[in-house]
Amino acid sequence: CCKDDQASGSKKPISLPISRVRLIMKSSPDVSSINQDALFLTTKATELFVQHLALSSFNNGSGKETNSLSYSDLANTAQETETFHFLTDILPKKILAQDYLNSLEQMQEEEGADY
Amino acid sequence: MDGDSSTTDASQLGITGEYMASSHYVLQPQEDDGDENLNDHEDGSSKENYREQDIYLPIANVARIMKNAVPQTGKIAKDAKECVQECVSEFISFITSELYLQKFREAMKGEKGMAGVTVGEGLSEDLSEDSFTNPLPAGIITADGQQQNVMVYTTSYQQIPTVQQIQFS
Repeated sequence: CCKDDQASGSKKPISLPISRVRLIMKSSPDVSSINQDALFLTTKATELFVQHLALSSFNNGSGKETNSLSYSDLANTAQETETFHFLTDILPKKILAQDYLNSLEQMQEEEGADY
Repeated sequence: MDGDSSTTDASQLGITGEYMASSHYVLQPQEDDGDENLNDHEDGSSKENYREQDIYLPIANVARIMKNAVPQTGKIAKDAKECVQECVSEFISFITSELYLQKFREAMKGEKGMAGVTVGEGLSEDLSEDSFTNPLPAGIITADGQQQNVMVYTTSYQQIPTVQQIQFS
């Protein structure tokens, strides 16, 4: 099946591989079988999710001037928008390693070396 | 690489190498990286390390959907694409997970007579949400183009006896 079409949705109903979606769903514990239509529905919902996340992050971020979408746009949106709160664990805000090492030293000084 | 006061040695910082961008060090908070090898997901074999959802959808497809959603973007950062890829897997797992199904069953508890309709409405509402511009119309929820009733998939240990079919209104 062809994956080279540029049209976003007019020719094909979905543009994500269903078999891969099923694989991810099956990695959830206690899921034995997945109904075909529910699978299709999840795949479609996932597409909408990507669109929604991308658009929200873009509008929420500073990229409008530069016409770009960056990781921090996504991380900020995940923290600020309730719909995306479930993503906060995998979208941590990034900090410079030096800052991290500095705060690590501070924490160690505060905790002492008892343990 | 720049910075003589900062290290590029990933093992020293305790972070996985792939999170290092060119001139900007990034760090992901990690609880237990002592015994487990975090780079195993490169060969795809061990999925048990610290996240189950190391299985992702192809990044090209994901990037294309992003691009189509925000046509005015000239550039989407590579790490943004990668992380949306991970978010997608998280999203799918979230929908599939017991947590979601539990909330779902709570919502339809007691609605035995009209359970089919309630579940259908609930599902399409939850998935459409206020902020989606295109709520999911029933007409496209089929694999073969025919409008059909959709059955709720259930976890293995508990069937929902009253819910056999959803009808999207």
